[in-house]
Amino acid sequence: MNRIFKKGPDFYCDLLIIGTGGAGLRCATEVLEKRPETSVMALTKVSHPQKSHTSTAQGGLAVVDPRDPVDKNIFHMFDTWKGSDCTADQNIIKKIIESSWEQILWLENRGMHFSRDIEGKLSKRTFGGHTLNFGESLAYRAVFEADRTGKGIMDTTWGEALKRGIRFLTQSIATELLFTGNQCVGSVVFKQKEGEFIRILSKATIIATGGCGQVFKVTTNCRQNTGDGLALALQAGLPVMDPEAVQFHPTGIVGPGILASEALRSEGGVLRNKDLKPFMERYAPKMKDLAPRDLVSRAIETEIRQGRGVLNPDHGIYHVWIDLRHLSEYVLDMKLGEISHFFNKFVNINPKEELCPVCPSNHYHMGGIPTTEFGEVQNGSQDTVPGLFAIGECAAASFHGFNRLAANSILELITMGKFAGERVLEYLKEAPAETSKAEGEHTLSLFSGYLEAQGRDSLGRIREAMQTMMTGKAGVFRTEAGLLEAVEGLKELKDRAAKTALSTRGLIMNQELVRRWELDNLLTVSMVIACAALNRRESRGAHYREDFPERKNEYNYHTLTTMEESGRIEFGKRPVDMSILEAGGGHAQKFGMIKREY
Amino acid sequence: MAKTYSITLKIHRYNPEEDRSWIQDYHMEAGRILRFVDLFHKINDEQDSTLAWNSSCEHGQCGTCSVIVNGKPLLACELLVENAVHRFRTTTFIIEPLDVAPVIRDLMVDMEKAYEKVNQVKPYIIEPAPLPVERDVYPITPNELELYVNATRCINCFCCASACISSHKSFLGPNAMLAAIVRVMDPREQEKEERFKVLYSDQGVYRCHSTQACTFVCPKEIDVAHFIALAKEGAIKL
Ligand SMILES: Cc1cc2nc3c(=O)[nH]c(=O)nc-3n(C[C@H](O)[C@H](O)[C@H](O)COP(=O)(O)OP(=O)(O)OC[C@H]3O[C@@H](n4cnc5c(N)ncnc54)[C@H](O)[C@@H]3O)c2cc1C
Ligand code: SF4
Ligand code: SF4
Ligand code: FES
Repeated sequence: MNRIFKKGPDFYCDLLIIGTGGAGLRCATEVLEKRPETSVMALTKVSHPQKSHTSTAQGGLAVVDPRDPVDKNIFHMFDTWKGSDCTADQNIIKKIIESSWEQILWLENRGMHFSRDIEGKLSKRTFGGHTLNFGESLAYRAVFEADRTGKGIMDTTWGEALKRGIRFLTQSIATELLFTGNQCVGSVVFKQKEGEFIRILSKATIIATGGCGQVFKVTTNCRQNTGDGLALALQAGLPVMDPEAVQFHPTGIVGPGILASEALRSEGGVLRNKDLKPFMERYAPKMKDLAPRDLVSRAIETEIRQGRGVLNPDHGIYHVWIDLRHLSEYVLDMKLGEISHFFNKFVNINPKEELCPVCPSNHYHMGGIPTTEFGEVQNGSQDTVPGLFAIGECAAASFHGFNRLAANSILELITMGKFAGERVLEYLKEAPAETSKAEGEHTLSLFSGYLEAQGRDSLGRIREAMQTMMTGKAGVFRTEAGLLEAVEGLKELKDRAAKTALSTRGLIMNQELVRRWELDNLLTVSMVIACAALNRRESRGAHYREDFPERKNEYNYHTLTTMEESGRIEFGKRPVDMSILEAGGGHAQKFGMIKREY
Repeated sequence: MAKTYSITLKIHRYNPEEDRSWIQDYHMEAGRILRFVDLFHKINDEQDSTLAWNSSCEHGQCGTCSVIVNGKPLLACELLVENAVHRFRTTTFIIEPLDVAPVIRDLMVDMEKAYEKVNQVKPYIIEPAPLPVERDVYPITPNELELYVNATRCINCFCCASACISSHKSFLGPNAMLAAIVRVMDPREQEKEERFKVLYSDQGVYRCHSTQACTFVCPKEIDVAHFIALAKEGAIKL
């Protein structure tokens, strides 16, 4: 290793999990419950696993109780398929939804505190796009723990993993995957607290690094969501699937972008424009305020573009209102306590008396590292990469296609986490010993480059320029010309970043160095998002091209992007799995290329 | 023109390589509803990229951004400039790292060390109670849950532990006590004895002097002292 860096001793383990959100920890617990002697190490960028982004998921988790008299798994499958704009994989939809109820029991039996009604039945709320009987009426399908469902999942899975002897490395970042031949054998890790680089050699490695919301200017995502997992995969020559599928949540609180959950509208909150008129009935006559996210986001952006938005003087951001004044004290204080409190806390507004300012905010990445139904990572030719798995928001199996339904993400974490765990256990039976000659040359040259740069520029300004550009050109509305500008702009920003000198010298907890590395990841991810959006000359789900507003059959496939060197992207295709349609039978016809109207 | 405040942040800094501590002043114009984390971002972007500080969710849900502002432990992502000026009646703010674990750099402390105390009380179900006949889960009624639901809302921000006057050395701390109390009150947990041993050990609830500082600072508005008082009275044995 390079002399300017401190190098710590290698670690060995059976399973290395990069990322301790809901997906990573659900997987860890599956492995440790079934095979307690497995040595599992888990890395997180944040100061403790509980601080992972999953802890902030508020609204709920979609699932059908098998004893439910009206709701059925098949309706949930249909909604997910339709919501995805016919681009989710049907084998995945079926597998996840059919095992969802079992996962609720798993969580509750290990200490999660789901909300229940007086009769002791699980409470449920409805979210955009969840319906009964193939679109007939609203389905009450999301179970929840008050407004802290994600926290409940994190507390439970973290507790279980701790109980079963997992080994955590906190404030540690995976910077490079290690391979022997085509088999993944671990990762290079920068331990921030010690300021040293180590190698962790493992028989199996799981990427569970979460989202990439920091690509955009206003986002509901946490500060650490910089798309590291995607950048790790791309750097290893592996593809990212459907990067252009980025979801914007319609109701971010103006300013910090904090998410004002669908729960507000599900409990009766109404969107109003500058003239205080409700407008959703013009865009989605049936579902109105509860239409899926992309529809509501575009409706709000359209209101704003057509001069019916309101300007917030502090942040200089246009927005619309959400009206909660007519909701009962009980609903606002008890059912939505934490969320309605947000307005008080973060913008000094009392939702009981005043209108609350909201605008679309980046929220979720449907795209990710392509995997099989067991979370096994696929390369560009769709062969699985031995020893490497990906789950959670950074992965695409694909359960969400081009648009995720509310309450379907944390369902994906706990189901795919379990499936990947089962597959890891099988893999470990025959996995070869973990050795590697690779020393992490890539990481070392990258980090030496960061420390040696001499130019005068500001990381903050470069990042801000990237976020503004991505929001404007690759956000809710996209066009050919705008995307071309974005691609050119990103190249310039990458050059500027490469020359920027850092001021912090020591390596221990050097946050500037980490921000510099994250900026590279963000620029990489932005580039694949913009190029894939440019390549897909149609509109589908959350990907909306103003110049090609219709969905086209010729694009009925998943985009695969690889990037051998910065800006040089190659495209491939993965077919959309239509196995429910192909299997025929009762409701099969509902799973064709249907129209996405609400 | 939107209203702004001219503020000064006096930030406690520490450089681990040189083992050097100092206080650094930052001056800025800040809009009314900017939060303290926004100010830290501004410092990094516009004035001083070397300042190290911590946050994650930046919306009061994860407990990563705790710092001490003018003597009060709080979440930097929840403190609006306007509210801070009113609350502390000043535009000068002294900002220190939380005093519950060793400082690594500037405002960043070793949270893993702080969490060791929570780990000691085993924040999980040790021995699950058997399921009622013909049930696939052990349902908790809303009435049962009501008794301790507030204790489950803790995000381990350690603000209470920092405010607590009982010694950090001899007391596991208010949030660790809460974690233990949750599982004592949770009917799904069978192993109560082991929990009582920790709660009533010489690092347990009797170290508490009932000052209620924990309740006062808790950003989640949990009445921490109430739960600890219940434990002292033995009133958590359902
Ligand atoms: C405000 C908000 C509310 C939401 N509400 C809901 C909801 O109600 N229902 C729903 O279904 N979904 C919801 N979502 C979406 C859902 O919360 C996320 O998609 C999900 O939590 C992602 O989980 P994850 O396990 O994939 O990743 P995360 O929880 O983001 O965890 C990622 C982990 O990876 C670590 N990491 C990242 N990079 C590295 C690296 N290089 N090295 C080491 N570690 C790394 C991080 O530190 C972290 O531990 C919400 C999202 C937001 C933003
Ligand atoms: S009430 Fe007890 S636990 Fe709370 S701050 Fe005072 S001494 Fe500490
Ligand atoms: S009890 Fe309150 S102050 Fe203490 S750690 Fe929990 S959330 Fe923070
Ligand atoms: S950063 Fe999560 S609570 Fe402040």
